[in-house]
Amino acid sequence: MGIFSKAKEIVPCTVEVSHRFESLHAHVRFDNGAVVHPGDEVLVHGAPILAGYGEVIVERRTATITRATPLERWWTRATGDLGFMELCEFSFSEELLA
Amino acid sequence: MKDLTQDTTRDTTQDTTHGELHSELAGTFDTTAMATETTLLNPRFYTTDFDEMDRIDVTPVRAEWDALLAQMKSDPNKGHFKKTEAWDKVDWDGMDPALRTEFIDFLVSSCTAEFSGCVLYKEMKRRGTNADICELFNYMARDEARHAGFINDALREAGVAVNLGFLTKAKKYTYFRPKFIYYATYLSEKIGYARYITIYRHLEAHPEQRFHPIFKWFREWCNDEFSHGEAFALLMRTDPKLTTSFTNRLWIKFFLVAVYSTMWVRDHARKDFHAALGVDIDWYDQEVYRKTSAIAKQVFPMEIDIDHKAWIPNLNRMNAAMIDMEKGKRKGGLSGRVAHATASARAMLAFARLYLIPVIRSTPPANVRLEPTY
Repeated sequence: MGIFSKAKEIVPCTVEVSHRFESLHAHVRFDNGAVVHPGDEVLVHGAPILAGYGEVIVERRTATITRATPLERWWTRATGDLGFMELCEFSFSEELLA
Repeated sequence: MKDLTQDTTRDTTQDTTHGELHSELAGTFDTTAMATETTLLNPRFYTTDFDEMDRIDVTPVRAEWDALLAQMKSDPNKGHFKKTEAWDKVDWDGMDPALRTEFIDFLVSSCTAEFSGCVLYKEMKRRGTNADICELFNYMARDEARHAGFINDALREAGVAVNLGFLTKAKKYTYFRPKFIYYATYLSEKIGYARYITIYRHLEAHPEQRFHPIFKWFREWCNDEFSHGEAFALLMRTDPKLTTSFTNRLWIKFFLVAVYSTMWVRDHARKDFHAALGVDIDWYDQEVYRKTSAIAKQVFPMEIDIDHKAWIPNLNRMNAAMIDMEKGKRKGGLSGRVAHATASARAMLAFARLYLIPVIRSTPPANVRLEPTY
């Protein structure tokens, strides 16, 4: 893989979206064991999965993993930590002006 | 949106522009038409050094670890997140619009935070091979998804529908080192506990100011946050360097100051929310810091000196600078950019002054575990 070329992989995946009172969650699992690395981009194909209230939808779909170049991967690892505030919960959004 | 193969027939009737819906709640919320507003949840996606996490060995804290995991496994809050007769009818129509906007922001942000936590924990559980760590993240993902579902229901009552269509949008995975996840998530969970319990105790004394029933659920709710924090405290104890090395002490101080000051700025932008609760924001934030600092001494070798004479003045300077930054950004153009840059320098200066306030050193106790006592 060259420094600037981007590899794309098409992988099968299982998507689970739960829109229930007991649990609100949404996950993607790559069925072939593909692993995502820093800077990679993932796009699940198809229409948005819109679970109605009370529904759980499990679907098999395909996804494209666009691999980051080595440079992007290095950059993401080097700078990713700077976004650590995203891991913190403050009850409110970052909007300060109404 | 790209047209791509879809190996199922579900959703074909759905309008794909649905995925383009975005959250613009402020000011546009229409109380007369329920469930007309859609907010697209937009969690972030992270990776970390999963090999490093697999190498974690909880042997040094095994007894405490097993006790905590057994408690999480028993799922003491399983029956808590149900709507009972204690869930009073909410008068959304009668609510002051400014309060409603801030309260909806509170619900959406809290729901997004729980949801993002769920995504992060689930990913760690899935990618890891260390049985202890996977079990922990499994329970935490369960709790977060449950909290998110509960908040989502409150949003539904307010006529705000949550859209989970983000999965079919391109998502870039960013990266955090494990220790950054520990510091940030530990603090986040403990601050979450302190925030919730402080509001709960305040409303216990002033029930007439409880303008929404969700606050009644905060006591048991925050116990989940508390035990998640306990788990991260134990994780940090497995490697003493994480909290004792010179560099890591500087990082811990940085996290504490960054998180505390951000909380100050965001809370002070929600005057109506706190006024409705009858809470003085300065008092509330200092109270939350006090509780968080007392708890965090279990693992951090310091606490921030929040009674130092430079503390509140610099928090206020930071707040003013952040507001000016946002004004500059909204204004746009060259003058807006200049205003933004100037305010940004002021914010950094205020942050540096906060950071330079000497900490109060402490020595974490031999036994790390704590119980929620507030």
